[in-house]
Amino acid sequence: MAETPRHHIAMWGAPGSGKTTLLAALSVALNRRDDDWKIVGQNPESSAYLTDMTSALTSGKEFPEASTALETYQWALIGPGPTGLFRRQRTSTMIGLTMVDAPGGHFAPSKGRTGGAEERQEELMANLTQSRGIVFLFDPIREFEVGDAYDHLHGPLNRLAEKMLEADQFENGKLPHNIAVCITKFDDPRVLQTAQKQRLLSPDLDDKHQFPRVAVEDARELFRELSRVSATGSAEMVMNALDKFFHRDRIRFYVTSSIGFYLDQQTETFDWNDYLNLVPDEADKAALRIRGPVYPINVVEPMLWLGECLAKQGRSR
Amino acid sequence: MTTESEAHPVPNPDDDLLRKALAKAVAGLTGSGRLDVVEVAADGVTSFKIIRDDHGVPRGRRWHTQWIDLAQEHGAQEHGAQERGAVLRAADIDPDGDAVLVFSSPGGSRAEQAFEWLRSARPDAPALRVDDSVATVVTEVLRTDPLTRSYDLVVLRPRTDGSLELATVPLFPVQARPGATTTLPLHCERGGPNGTAFAVVTWQGHEPLLLSVESAALPPGSYEVTAELRRPGRVRFSGLPPLSADPRGWAALIAEVPPRLPLRPSGAGHLICAIEVCGVEEKVAERVGRARQVVSTLSNRPGLAVSVVAYGAHSFDRSVKDPRVEVRAWRVDVATAQGVLDELEDRGPITAGYPYHPHAAQLEDMLATVDRRLAADPASPVALLTIGDRPPHPPRIDSSRVLPCPHRHDWRATVTRLEQTWNVVFGAVVDHQAGGPLPRVWQRLGSAALANFDALDIRGLTSGLGLTSDPVPVPFPLIDVE
Repeated sequence: MAETPRHHIAMWGAPGSGKTTLLAALSVALNRRDDDWKIVGQNPESSAYLTDMTSALTSGKEFPEASTALETYQWALIGPGPTGLFRRQRTSTMIGLTMVDAPGGHFAPSKGRTGGAEERQEELMANLTQSRGIVFLFDPIREFEVGDAYDHLHGPLNRLAEKMLEADQFENGKLPHNIAVCITKFDDPRVLQTAQKQRLLSPDLDDKHQFPRVAVEDARELFRELSRVSATGSAEMVMNALDKFFHRDRIRFYVTSSIGFYLDQQTETFDWNDYLNLVPDEADKAALRIRGPVYPINVVEPMLWLGECLAKQGRSR
Repeated sequence: MTTESEAHPVPNPDDDLLRKALAKAVAGLTGSGRLDVVEVAADGVTSFKIIRDDHGVPRGRRWHTQWIDLAQEHGAQEHGAQERGAVLRAADIDPDGDAVLVFSSPGGSRAEQAFEWLRSARPDAPALRVDDSVATVVTEVLRTDPLTRSYDLVVLRPRTDGSLELATVPLFPVQARPGATTTLPLHCERGGPNGTAFAVVTWQGHEPLLLSVESAALPPGSYEVTAELRRPGRVRFSGLPPLSADPRGWAALIAEVPPRLPLRPSGAGHLICAIEVCGVEEKVAERVGRARQVVSTLSNRPGLAVSVVAYGAHSFDRSVKDPRVEVRAWRVDVATAQGVLDELEDRGPITAGYPYHPHAAQLEDMLATVDRRLAADPASPVALLTIGDRPPHPPRIDSSRVLPCPHRHDWRATVTRLEQTWNVVFGAVVDHQAGGPLPRVWQRLGSAALANFDALDIRGLTSGLGLTSDPVPVPFPLIDVE
């Protein structure tokens, strides 16, 4: 009988917030790491989808097309097992990863839905209730231009809370999930420059490419700063909502980039004069292509943190 | 008490006294003040109101009231207080202003009485008795009043880069008197429909205030112009064909100032045609066609050298080599250049589609190439005609989000160097849609001559570049022309 994940992580975010790209980038990022972590589809459709998305990102230099049909893709993050002096050696660690949204935003407010939408929403909600780890994507550029992150958060959050309360799964008045808030598009000059102006950049001395980074302990501050320029002014409520529904020590912010920065061909190091990894598309002025190789930033880390949290919780039960 | 001399004044000395008193009073007039000169004469009361206008020029107005009118005002049989009131009203002396009282009616008891009323009403005012007409003295004093503001002539001063600076040269300083003259060497280009304007200004703080404008259609050339101060507010120019009054205001005059001095076509010259050859095929053909039109227009210009430079778009894929700017011809004759342009049109666009940047071009590389070529071959004068549409790549990432130039060329710095080091004159033909502001880069590349594809004025373009003798009108005289 095939091994199945003991823990599940759900990806959540507004439509266009970059879930599909993050997933493709996760595969690339894992392959760039010098360890045993990998991502594997749990069924043929999910494997094929992952392959297509990753190829689009690396070979086609295009952003992977988001899923157009509502399907619940499932993958497994497989890595080395935990080791310890008195701990029985497991062969591996396996974390289930589910992308539970589709474009159009089934997490969006339910105004005007027809024809089985309710049923699909229930299905999606079931995925969230079964997961104990959530990757929540916050796209600061979309928030600056559209400002709908809160719209896509508070409705589903209330529904999730309702379900968890019904199942008596509240812990000390809050949801039991761990949530990794991924601030996406760190590669965009507006996000990078905000972090720079706020002096939130810290060098990773081990990084041979010298990419700028925002440490986990500073990421919340950047989120707060970026929320101030929300198009609707509602982004500041996102943080408040997260703090109300989740335990503070189970929320962690990550500043991420799925495509990363462009790398200077000669020096193989980050260049402050030329780091944009996007080229406009000729056919569609609004569309963008990927310029060079992708070097995802902070894409694996939220998954592994969630995996670690879930593993600990599993052991303590 | 009336003295002997007051009762029987010796004509000339008293008139001189009046002149001096009036001159002193007029000299003391400030911007908002008013001087009242009241003359009591045999036929009635005359009141002169003198103020200074915005240029400091004294201006006078005059009212005369006859005794008979004064009598009708209060009734023939009434005297005393009513008549006194009527006289004071006729005099209309500003209680806050300066006043000079003048008696010019010896022997008239009615006038004597009126003068006494005025003296008692303004005991501080100088009171004089004269024989002559006060009006003549007032007019003379106003005409000879020294200037209270300096007068300057509006000129244009060419800078070393050929651009024009609006400037003034002093004509007459404060305290200058009528009869003063100043002689200036001036140069005149062809003026507009009104000719060359000789505009005199005074200053209100740092703002020039137009005092007078006279114009004439002058043959281009140098003139030794003499300005003579005829009277306050009036300057006459000589050494020129006759000038006539020009009705234009300051804004209209300024609007005609061209950004730069039209270059005089010289026997030699170097036209560089830089053409954007990426994008849609029809557009590339159109751009090359425009270059051919310009070059053909200059086919009868002896000694003209033409260069043809083509530039495309940068590649942003490591696997595809970034194309170089092509110098297709350098300093060739017009016929050869036409052949090169034919080849360019036959070849069509380069760098189309992925992985070439779709919205920017190697404009900055083209400028750097021209700069490098001119450094090795600094013949002048040089006109750079750029025919394109796309913006350049910035030297580093900026708010435009256009990817930086792979060679880090800085178009702004290069344009400045071309201007300042090689005195390059810039013209451009741009496919710019009306409505939006013209991008800064095209403003600079078209600083001497700018045309749109849809409304191409070849003659204006070539004259703006100094390649043909159809200079843009220069509305003011030029100074410091070498």
